[in-house]
Amino acid sequence: MHAYQARIGELRLDPAGQVQARLDCPPAALPAPGQYLLAYDPQDASAALATPLFAAELLADGFWAAAPLPPAWQPGLVLALRGPLGKGFALPGDVRRLALAALGGSAARLLPLAQQALRQDLSVALFTAAALPRLPSSIEINPLGMLPEALAWADFLAVDLSVEQVESLAGVLGLQGGLPPACPGQALVSAAMPCGGSGGCGACAIPVRRGWKLACQDGPVFDLRAWW
Amino acid sequence: MSKYDLVFANPLMNAAGTLGFAPASHDAQALSGLGAFVTDPLSLGMRTPAHGPHCLPYPGGFLLHTGYPNPGLNTALRRHAARWARASQPVIVHLLVQKVEDLSWMLPRLERLEGLGGLEVGLPPEVDASAAVAFTRAAAGELPVIVRLPFEQAVQLAPAVVDAGAAAVSLSPPRGTLLVANKSGSPHLVEGRLYGPSVYPLALAAVRAITARGLPVIGAGGIYTVEQARAMLASGALAVQLDGIIWKEGLQIWNCWKSMLA
Repeated sequence: MHAYQARIGELRLDPAGQVQARLDCPPAALPAPGQYLLAYDPQDASAALATPLFAAELLADGFWAAAPLPPAWQPGLVLALRGPLGKGFALPGDVRRLALAALGGSAARLLPLAQQALRQDLSVALFTAAALPRLPSSIEINPLGMLPEALAWADFLAVDLSVEQVESLAGVLGLQGGLPPACPGQALVSAAMPCGGSGGCGACAIPVRRGWKLACQDGPVFDLRAWW
Repeated sequence: MSKYDLVFANPLMNAAGTLGFAPASHDAQALSGLGAFVTDPLSLGMRTPAHGPHCLPYPGGFLLHTGYPNPGLNTALRRHAARWARASQPVIVHLLVQKVEDLSWMLPRLERLEGLGGLEVGLPPEVDASAAVAFTRAAAGELPVIVRLPFEQAVQLAPAVVDAGAAAVSLSPPRGTLLVANKSGSPHLVEGRLYGPSVYPLALAAVRAITARGLPVIGAGGIYTVEQARAMLASGALAVQLDGIIWKEGLQIWNCWKSMLA
């Protein structure tokens, strides 16, 4: 596991009014879409844990970290980083039509994957009820209710959901009778990861078809076949 | 050396439930600063994750409510016994026991393994003195036994447990309760284990109370600085177990703290 330093260069509000931070860091520290970094302020002895950071936007010399972030973090602060950690999204080479579904209050963590897909000239459709920043016009924006229809169109589905939403995923996708989605896909599952990838605490246990897996080690991006 | 002697390479170790079931081979360099590796808690049968929120932060720390998920002892042995034998530091297997009889099934499987430096037996939170003694006696065998006492009763139970044959006692995280909102927004209570800097004053006081009675104790609870570890050792603790600080600052702390405590 690699360690780096990053400086908070700027803060901004996302469309939901939550704070995002621009971290200036070495290129080797940049997380791939779906991966995360662990960050803490070395001068803050009162903080009990590091904060997991996911990218909302990747830059050449850093990234915008998605909310939630510690309220004490301000521009100029130098953070200690570990990572990148975990399994991120992996688009198969033959994907041409990518469906993104953000089931929670933010689509931020899917946007780096959208960035990557657009660079590869893929068709991208985003399904969400969350408020969105200004996005390239080539990304088609749709309500979540249209997601079941999109599964017939998409070559690949990427989902962002919380661990509490896992049990309702089949319903959101319009699937019945235990049938799997028509297209392959992956899901980025939000779970508390206090142990930072050591797999020691069990707090990030995600129920899957057979038993459970750990988001910090086996994820946080899982193949949809884990549930079908 | 008596078969009951605990041997640590240095007085630093991880607390049970912090670093998984076996030292990861790719972390060998980082873990070389560990005096002993304590496994995640293992029960006789498989345990599934607890329902509901698993990690709840609060000022000064966080509460974990995980249910101690694990595959059960037999599966864990198949997966990890070889790595325990290859570990560069003594491995202490933490046993999560609910019934005294569990130990009669677990001990024979563990005592024939290589690489084990001892057992740590985690007692149930509501255990009384007679049950604590019964667990301790049932754990007696070829391996030295550390008995991890419920934090709230540690000072009270330590004398009887050591008298019953424990090589040392250790401290479980204290337990607490937080109020959270469920899916529908209505509040409910979540009980779990407490970690974080706010635990340290309680833990240091408990260690001092136990060592004042001349009893062997491995200190644990909210240690976030080398100075705090040093203070526990200076109070007479045989060793200290780290928890949240490992997760916050990563494995690099082992070699750093080991050199600072030398």
